[in-house]
Amino acid sequence: MSFKHAIRAMTGLAMAVVGTGATLAYFEESIPMSLNPLFAKTMADHRAQELVFDRLWFNDAITNELRSRVVQKYQIAEAGRAVEVTLKTGVRWHNGQALTSKDLCFTVKAMLDEGTPSPVADHYREFIVGCDTRGPQTAMIRFNRVLPKPRERLGFPILPASEFTSTAISPDLQFSARPIGTGAFNGKRGLRMVTFDAFANTHHTPQIVQMQLQEGGDPLVQTKTLINNNVQGIVVVPPPQRPDLSASDDVSMKSYDLRSWWYVSVNSNRGALKDNRVRQALNMVLNRNELRQYSIGVKPNDKNSPCEFISGPFIPASPYYNVEVPVLPTANLAKADSLLKQAGLEKLGGRWHSGGQPITLRVGMLASLDHEAPDLLSQVANQLGAAGFDRLTSKISADEWDNTVMAGGSDFDLVIGKWSFGLVEEVNELFHSKGRQNMFRFANAEVDQILQEYEDAVTDTEQRDAYHKLHTVLNRELPYLFLWKLDTKSAWRTEVRGNIVAPYYYFTEIDSWSVEG
Amino acid sequence: MAACLLPFIVPAVITGFIWSLPGDPASLICPPNICGGTAALAERWNLDGGPMQFFLGWMADATTLEFGNSWRLHQGLPVLELLKEAIPTTVSLISVATLVIMAGAVMATRGWLPRRLDPVLRFVGLVPALVLALAGAAAIELTFGFGSFSESGKLARLLIGAAVLGVADGAFTGAALGTRTTFETENQSRYVGIAVLRGEQPLANTWPNVAPSVIGQMRARIIHLLSGAVVVEVVLRIDGLGDLLWGGTLRQDFGVVLAAATLFASVSAVLLVIQAVLETLVALHVRKAPSGVRVSG
Amino acid sequence: MNRRVPLVVAGACFAALLGAAFVAPEHLGNIRPDLALKGPLDVFPFGTDTRGRSLWDYAAQGASVVAIPAFSAGIIVAIFGIVGGLLRCVGSERVNAMIQWFSEIVGALPRMVVILVVALLLPRDQRSLFPLAWTWAILAAPGAMDEAASVAERLGGSRFVEALRAHGYSASRIFLVHVVGFNLRPVVVRQGAETMMHVVFLEIALSYLALAENQPSFTHADSLKSWADLLKLGYPSLIPSLDYHSGHALLLALGLLGLVAVMSIAIGRSARAR
Repeated sequence: MSFKHAIRAMTGLAMAVVGTGATLAYFEESIPMSLNPLFAKTMADHRAQELVFDRLWFNDAITNELRSRVVQKYQIAEAGRAVEVTLKTGVRWHNGQALTSKDLCFTVKAMLDEGTPSPVADHYREFIVGCDTRGPQTAMIRFNRVLPKPRERLGFPILPASEFTSTAISPDLQFSARPIGTGAFNGKRGLRMVTFDAFANTHHTPQIVQMQLQEGGDPLVQTKTLINNNVQGIVVVPPPQRPDLSASDDVSMKSYDLRSWWYVSVNSNRGALKDNRVRQALNMVLNRNELRQYSIGVKPNDKNSPCEFISGPFIPASPYYNVEVPVLPTANLAKADSLLKQAGLEKLGGRWHSGGQPITLRVGMLASLDHEAPDLLSQVANQLGAAGFDRLTSKISADEWDNTVMAGGSDFDLVIGKWSFGLVEEVNELFHSKGRQNMFRFANAEVDQILQEYEDAVTDTEQRDAYHKLHTVLNRELPYLFLWKLDTKSAWRTEVRGNIVAPYYYFTEIDSWSVEG
Repeated sequence: MAACLLPFIVPAVITGFIWSLPGDPASLICPPNICGGTAALAERWNLDGGPMQFFLGWMADATTLEFGNSWRLHQGLPVLELLKEAIPTTVSLISVATLVIMAGAVMATRGWLPRRLDPVLRFVGLVPALVLALAGAAAIELTFGFGSFSESGKLARLLIGAAVLGVADGAFTGAALGTRTTFETENQSRYVGIAVLRGEQPLANTWPNVAPSVIGQMRARIIHLLSGAVVVEVVLRIDGLGDLLWGGTLRQDFGVVLAAATLFASVSAVLLVIQAVLETLVALHVRKAPSGVRVSG
Repeated sequence: MNRRVPLVVAGACFAALLGAAFVAPEHLGNIRPDLALKGPLDVFPFGTDTRGRSLWDYAAQGASVVAIPAFSAGIIVAIFGIVGGLLRCVGSERVNAMIQWFSEIVGALPRMVVILVVALLLPRDQRSLFPLAWTWAILAAPGAMDEAASVAERLGGSRFVEALRAHGYSASRIFLVHVVGFNLRPVVVRQGAETMMHVVFLEIALSYLALAENQPSFTHADSLKSWADLLKLGYPSLIPSLDYHSGHALLLALGLLGLVAVMSIAIGRSARAR
């Protein structure tokens, strides 16, 4: 009897705690396509899924140390080729069932199942080979090699075995719209809105009763709606709207570190671009100050700039960034001309020619990036035109980007894009000659060797040294013209308190968020 | 007979069209060079045997209202649920818009729209549906805020959408001025002059003759409204068939596109039947002997 | 009725559109933030956009996108209308049935789906409004054929042709002069002119939808701007609470549409029956 009273009291207490919170409504870039973490494609997907699911391990938003809300303890096993994980007891799924090791192994098996068409799972298939349960809360995850820091690579969300009939998970299952997780909120996707209802758990105490997400429409209208207090937040504020929101006393701007950097990828297998001198010249043609000023709105002398130039494939705050490699903020057309002439190009009638033929550069850019950096494509094209190159510009849809450009099948000469890190700051897939995200099949033996050194490295220092070398070589070989690292800005009403914005996943610290008034 | 076969022929034609799109839905979810499982997905979605196999499989399931779940547009949501929401929305949208243009046609025919209003009507007809829809969407979102998808918000979107459809892109203007021109041209016929001399109303005499043309025009205008509904629904974010068709085609969500296209075809078939019925009634009316006429001799 | 004036008006409008298309720049000018959203009095002739670029470039590039494709679509619809009317005069039941089937099937297709599929099939370098305009014209053809056929039916159809044959006219004179020239002309030209306007509206809608869906443009190269960009820039000026001074862009866009509408009306008037 007393046990039942205790249960009732706890439930009531939980409800009371949850019930004293408020509703938080916000605009997203787009409505998430799927709430199933195996099929996350856009950042909106990742952010929404962060509310519904717990990742096995995550980085603390403030200290950046690895933590877990569901793991009680772990132990490296089998000489570094496995890790034994013991889950906490008392953690419940949104359907009321308990989280057990069976769920953890089900998740691993689903990711390994060839019948699960998940690009997310594909990443884990590279090093995870299996999972066995060792008890109701204990599981052993096995790898195909020794991993020095396995927890960093095990940041996947856990799925409930009870909701699936097979480990071959298809994207069109109803789970994608009505997921069951162990996260702070239970999500339901509608046609225009996703609703997240708070779910009190032993490891989550959300102070908000309900969150609602809608796709934002016109940015002007979004801005006015936020200022008028008809919505509490906008996750991604385009640069043209930032001044108005910054000027409002009721709105505070928050930096959102997407761990992303922008680049112009160069097709070094095509025409004149095969010559490194031509690539170097293109690097000197770009006036990054102007590009940044007119597309992001950041002037050269602005303090606390959300947009910092980079000279390699890492963000400046990263330990892998080689600070000795300088950036090129302005153009140097004279030197660019000299390099192009050395490469055998001729300037006739103000246009560069190669082998008697005028050079026309086909420049593409992922279409959705136009919201974050308006007119960047036309500005780059204009700078190339002023330097003497004809150009054809195109925007690229998300599907074409994933299926053609990133698959190495495009016919562009230059592609403007943005690369975002998740948990692990690795670039091997981008630059290795066999890398699956090497969009123009850049191949360089020295780079491959450095990347292998990184793979073989056992200590942090060895990894850092390898990537420092990589930074230097890439700055010389220029498969990419590196542009900048750009912090995105979010805007939240000042009534929203404790809103710590975690890098990349955003809502990792949602338990600390609250709404006053 | 055409009306009965359209709901079968149109999805077949649409299957052919969307099959020709670059890529395929399974590869869009999981590009084969990046991840495995694409073949299994293609098999699950019946994409591995060509368009005919896919179409026949879909048709067989459709007869039992098994449309499956949306693949990409509203991933995981049952297509039937989407249709149940979309059908009444689009029907309401088109119906109200049709009332607007029919009102225009009637007003112009009866002479309730004076000619001096023609320049105003032409100017109004100039405004594209896109502008009015964008302005309408902004007004709704500013008025309702985050509640713009509540019941009242949705109703506001629907009413504004219907007004936009009925007025913009020359819909109202075309219906009013086009119908008036048709009647005016007919009124110049000799038989009308004779009828007027007999003391009869011109409309009573011209209507049976122009009715087939007017009915045909109206059907064409309603079909035009259906096309315009796609733009209005997407811009105003109304959850109708047009929005499903547009989004589904863009994302190669075959199940959603075929189901919505079949319903579109059914609407067209219904209009066809209505047109045939009305034309038959007109023909019967014309065949009736006029009363009060005696043949001397 | 004097047809000269409408013909001159139509010709002048078309010449203005073609002239603008001819001088349209290949790429937009450089960004000048200090000239953002200036009106026509500050930056002649049409003012600037939010980046300080002249709206004349938008107008001219938009004209280059729509002018000839819209006109060609009108011609295609008129031709279909003529064919529809002539075939009704032939009086063949079989032909009438085939046309009926064609009309019903094409008429029942969701047009925007077909247009979108055609747009997505076009190779990137060959994106233009032409294929979409012609597709639209084919989809709109059943309506034109239907209306022309009913006009021919009211003439008397094949009996009309027989009567004129009895008067000794040749077949070509009967069909080209009496059927098409005297009777079908107002209908098919009006249909063609309406289609021309519809194609312009279609281009605007498709251009905006491409922007909204983060897609490359369906109707033109991405380096060009269309009149949809003017409307997108200008529409916030309709909402006072947005406090956005872009009315000059909206007026310019409506003015350009008005130019096309005047051309369409003038063409229709010039073809009216006496």
